[in-house]
Amino acid sequence: MATSVSSTQLDFNTIKNSLKTYFAQQSEFADYDFEGSGLNNILDVLAYNTHFNALTANFALNEAFLSTAQLRSSVVSHAATLGYTPRSRTASRAEVNLNVNLAGVTNRPSSLILPAGTQFTTTVEDVTYTFSTLEDYVATDNGEGVYAFLNQAGGTTITIYEGDIKQKTFLVGEVGERQLYVIQDQTIDTTTASIRVYDTAASDNFVTYTPINTAVTVASTSRYYQISEAPNGFYELNFGDGISFGRAPIAGEKIVVSYLSCVGGAANGASAFTPQTTVVVNNRGYTLNVTTVNSAGVGGPRQTTESIRQNAPIAFAAQQRLVTADDYRAIIQSNFATVTDAIAWGGEDNVPPDYGKVFMSLVFEDGTTADQQTAVKNQIVQQISNNLSILSIDTDFKDPTTTYLELVLTFNFDPNLTGQTIKATESNVFETIKTYVNNNLKRFDGVFRRSELLSVIDELSPAILNSRVNVKLQQRFVPDLTVRTSYKIYFPVEIGAPNQIDHTVTTSTFIYDGKVCSIKNALNNTKLQIVNSIGEIEVDNIGSFNSLDGTVTITGFLPTSITAGVNYLKVSIKPANESTVRPLRSYILDIDEGPSFATGSVDRQQSIVTLSGGTGVTSEVYSAAEQQPTVSYITTGATQGVVISPSLAPNITPSSGS
Amino acid sequence: MATTRNFAVEDGNLSSSLTTARVRKFSDVDLSFTAKATGDIFKKQDLAAIKQSVKNILLTGKLEKPFNPDFSGGLGNILFENMDDITQVEVETAVSLAIRSFEPRAILDTVSVKPNIDRNELHVTVRFGIKNTGEQVTLDTTLSRLR
Repeated sequence: MATSVSSTQLDFNTIKNSLKTYFAQQSEFADYDFEGSGLNNILDVLAYNTHFNALTANFALNEAFLSTAQLRSSVVSHAATLGYTPRSRTASRAEVNLNVNLAGVTNRPSSLILPAGTQFTTTVEDVTYTFSTLEDYVATDNGEGVYAFLNQAGGTTITIYEGDIKQKTFLVGEVGERQLYVIQDQTIDTTTASIRVYDTAASDNFVTYTPINTAVTVASTSRYYQISEAPNGFYELNFGDGISFGRAPIAGEKIVVSYLSCVGGAANGASAFTPQTTVVVNNRGYTLNVTTVNSAGVGGPRQTTESIRQNAPIAFAAQQRLVTADDYRAIIQSNFATVTDAIAWGGEDNVPPDYGKVFMSLVFEDGTTADQQTAVKNQIVQQISNNLSILSIDTDFKDPTTTYLELVLTFNFDPNLTGQTIKATESNVFETIKTYVNNNLKRFDGVFRRSELLSVIDELSPAILNSRVNVKLQQRFVPDLTVRTSYKIYFPVEIGAPNQIDHTVTTSTFIYDGKVCSIKNALNNTKLQIVNSIGEIEVDNIGSFNSLDGTVTITGFLPTSITAGVNYLKVSIKPANESTVRPLRSYILDIDEGPSFATGSVDRQQSIVTLSGGTGVTSEVYSAAEQQPTVSYITTGATQGVVISPSLAPNITPSSGS
Repeated sequence: MATTRNFAVEDGNLSSSLTTARVRKFSDVDLSFTAKATGDIFKKQDLAAIKQSVKNILLTGKLEKPFNPDFSGGLGNILFENMDDITQVEVETAVSLAIRSFEPRAILDTVSVKPNIDRNELHVTVRFGIKNTGEQVTLDTTLSRLR
């Protein structure tokens, strides 16, 4: 009789069957396999208990690793072991000019101070948000009574932040080995936190602590703090211990934390701001004039779990230094909420090469204005590249280049295997293609793999018997309609070789010489031609393409206009390798839904119909008379030729005459 | 009656009869969990085991058995409906379906349901035979609402 029950499975029925196997080997109780028996009920309880414990152990084990953890608190905790602090909410911020007009006022002061915390309201989608200044600003009389408030650099651009300024006060008692101060607020923007430590609870003397991630050297008396996310979603303030990363507040001192409590990105886009206070001069309030320089942006939610999971190991590898391309990506994404994707490459890999530079390309969240994008790029250069990158390396930005895929998918469809119509399935397939593109492409390292897409399509329905997809790549450019111009279009892949059957390079249509035309390569040739809608060649040589370089050159091109109501021309190519399209550098793959479609053909899987009606190999024996070769002679001028029936031996010497 | 056949000694007959059907003993745990003097619990055997099983099936509600949601005698749901003329038919159908589905050892003979509307009770009498032995069993049970 077995003395142990083997159970390494999580599945209830497998566990129960293991128990039944055990009971099958003893004779005391025989009714274990009848579902109504008492013994079976006891087996249910045992198996359920084992199943439950196994699942719990499985879940717990999953939480033990960064790559499999499901709970945010677990992911944050794993990231902390890698020295990575997830980004909190980021407050929206706008840039404005502020001034007060005191023209005509007697006894004007020489300067005015706009205190930190001055509030402005604005409305986005019928919700009112409050913006505030975070520091004091000073304005001086320009001689005509106009006081323009200036920033620290002397410019008139003042940044205002969405949110309420909140304050938390902690009285330091006898501290243990490690004292944490809990900020019970999930809405904090940790980048706006200001930590002041007062000598005593009643004292006005304070010392400001700075974030540990800005530290260059740390001594036992350094005054640094760290704010990190706690397992319950709140934030914890941590100081040094006098040894590892600086001084900790001691008993009797008072800690005052002030920060901005914000809504994240909801206030992005706000552009009209109304001040909530007036500027008081000689006991009379004067209106604060607000001119918006840049609408609100940059605000975002706290870093997502998946983003933390992806970036924490890379940030650990980067070690807060910008050396490799991945370092740029990790540090930028952990600091800028509006940057959804980033990529960097060395100048030596650029086309053309530009040594001593690092090129970067950023993808911003939808709705981020050009000014806000510029502001982020400037911050990256000033705050990150200049401080962390290798000396003598400059940072340059390149806009992402979108390369569109034109996917024409065909599939065989057996209507007997589904209740869906072929049209509905075509629609489903096309939606699946779009979902695949959304989930796997549209980012810098998103590689298109044809077999991966087809696997998803084949799995969509049992009625889809097989599928294939023809892949084309498309770039767009805006041609000049006034001056004859040459263009060079770069594709991130090799272009297919020209062939005899179809055109490797084609463009969308345009008006040329009063006719609807497009550019195509000549068959079996890399030469490009302008061809009108009935196939006549209008211009024989308008450029060429280079397969290996992946370039299409259009020379001296001057169309009258572009058709289809757009201002750009689409240049489509057949790639040399349709199976894998790997974007380089700043290229991003997307789908052009216009020329892409899915179409099914009915296949009822009947094998009785063949092309010729025959099967296998057939043979036919010639008669003796037919074994002689059929020879005919042609005499045309000076040239003589022989035409020999191809089914017989060719070693025949022709003679003249017939 | 089981048929026996004799074979020659050369063919392996060692003076024992060959039984054409294996008679399986049924033995189950007594769900009352009453202890014997030795400390062991009592067993239910053969007829009693099947009877306990049938009763168990009838009193099990839908979704009660883990990972076997359809395993049910169906009486629990009916009991909480308003009792009317078709309750009797519903109960008879549910009981016969449950025994046919979940108790392969029993051959159902009759199901008789007598409602006592005034007391919100159902008297269920199930007659069934045992497949192995052909014995007839009658199970009487009364179902009533506790509250």
